[in-house]
Amino acid sequence: MAVTLSGFRGSLRRARTAAWLGWQVEGNWADPVLFAIYVLARPLATALILAAMYSAVRAHAGGAGPGAGAAAAFTGFFVANAFHSYVNQVLVGMGWAVFDEREQYETLKYVYASPVGMFTYLAGRSLVKYALATVSVLATLLVGWFLLGVRWDWAQVQWLPLLAATAAGLASTLFLGFLLAGWSLVLARAAMVALEGVSLASYLLCGVIFPIDFLPVPVRWLAMGLPFTWWYEALRRFLTGHGTVGMMQRFADREVLLWLGVTTVVFAVLARWGYFAFERQARRLGRLDQTTLF
Amino acid sequence: MSLAAALPAIEHRPRHTGARLFAHAMLARMYVRIVGSLREPTWMIADAIFPNLGMCAFVLLYRALGAPRSYEALALIGGVLTTYWINVLWGMGAQLYFEKMQGQLALYFAAPCSRLAILSGMALGGLVATLLRSLVGVAIGLWVFHVQVAPFSPWVLAGVFVLTMVALYALGMTLSSLFLLYGREAWHTANALQEPVYFLSGLYFPVRTLGALGATAAGVLPLTLGTDALRQVLLGPAAQGLLPLGQECLALAGFGVLFLFLAGRAMAYLEALAKREGRLTQRWQ
Repeated sequence: MAVTLSGFRGSLRRARTAAWLGWQVEGNWADPVLFAIYVLARPLATALILAAMYSAVRAHAGGAGPGAGAAAAFTGFFVANAFHSYVNQVLVGMGWAVFDEREQYETLKYVYASPVGMFTYLAGRSLVKYALATVSVLATLLVGWFLLGVRWDWAQVQWLPLLAATAAGLASTLFLGFLLAGWSLVLARAAMVALEGVSLASYLLCGVIFPIDFLPVPVRWLAMGLPFTWWYEALRRFLTGHGTVGMMQRFADREVLLWLGVTTVVFAVLARWGYFAFERQARRLGRLDQTTLF
Repeated sequence: MSLAAALPAIEHRPRHTGARLFAHAMLARMYVRIVGSLREPTWMIADAIFPNLGMCAFVLLYRALGAPRSYEALALIGGVLTTYWINVLWGMGAQLYFEKMQGQLALYFAAPCSRLAILSGMALGGLVATLLRSLVGVAIGLWVFHVQVAPFSPWVLAGVFVLTMVALYALGMTLSSLFLLYGREAWHTANALQEPVYFLSGLYFPVRTLGALGATAAGVLPLTLGTDALRQVLLGPAAQGLLPLGQECLALAGFGVLFLFLAGRAMAYLEALAKREGRLTQRWQ
């Protein structure tokens, strides 16, 4: 037990060091104000695009708005879009950390040669990504609430299910981040493209800003197999009080939580196994120090 | 023929100067850009498919909100134009940073041709390669979303498109000069400029929705005016245009001239500055 505890403490210490290093890599190129603008520019711009689209539809409907149902739906889409920052920052960012270390700074082999361990190192790097994503989620929700009128009834918030869903969503983000980081180890030049593709595909597949009913049937089933689809639905229901219309209405609140839990566990197991399988493959193929001058 | 035998012929070949040298350097850089973009299949997929994934999501949001079909066409035209903006930002603006990272930038400055010839070749090559890829977005719009457009003149469409692209790529040439000094900031700046420009250009909604902000953006960004002008040609009154089409074309032509002039001045000034500060060969900064 003592050995396990000391090992755990050692891992935490190494992860903290990796997080500090990650912060230096992410943030030391600019002063704090410029860095804050950089971190917030992308999520806020996407939120403003959604607000402008909704405003255009409202204006076309003659100012009265496209209906209360559409207003509630938009609030749900806006909230899910805000939380999608975690997917963009953490899930994709962990893969980028691998890509940057190998291609940009050519230091990946030194990380492997150090006693920190790649898995712990990536976990540490993800902490910075979580912090940055949290800032952008809060900023987006605040801009929505105070400037764009995207509001919900706090009395309808179901705190416990919301916290459980958020914990599961964040965990699934981390595990899928490991899987993508492992995949990036194997891919050489194509890692950059794959990461960008996953980021954009997840925006489309998980029904962030529209009900998944609009997707073709086979793609819809794929969407329902992803934890993020259930996470965003849970956020809509437990935070704003309105789920999406369509096929998701068939699921009760506890079923949404159950599916979120099941897909998270499945992806956690798959991601852990996948990461180490990819890592072995990358060593076998000699990809750990391969640069391609992308 | 061996190299030794070929050398006298190469040495006595007439040297190009002036406009001929400019044109040859431009065509050479354009050739490299086109061949390079076709050589890497993953880049082709990325450039052709990825910008359209975001566009699909926005079109489906309009469906979810019960918007009229013309709004889907608005988003589709904007989505197709994102391909060009991404190319301008990453393929033009940040290109000299990539060249610096790969150790090639010094060769550009050692070459006997004009820097503007190299930038023009980059722009033309990028435009040709992106033109082919943007057709994927058009195909998605026509065959997946069944978007319909109003009757239009292909000549007017071609004219407005050329004016938009000249202005847009001239802006890219100016950006590449400005980014010349930067290290990692170039990467981050390009990253940070992507979505905010989508918003300010009204790529997914009528520019008029932005009110005074849209008018201001139209005065600064050629993409805003180009998007609006192309929508007016393709959708007619449903485009909810910001200004009359003729005025927008005139402004786009003005943007083209202005940014080409600025690109030349900025390149001359920043090249001297970068040399003085020793930044041309700096890597990993």
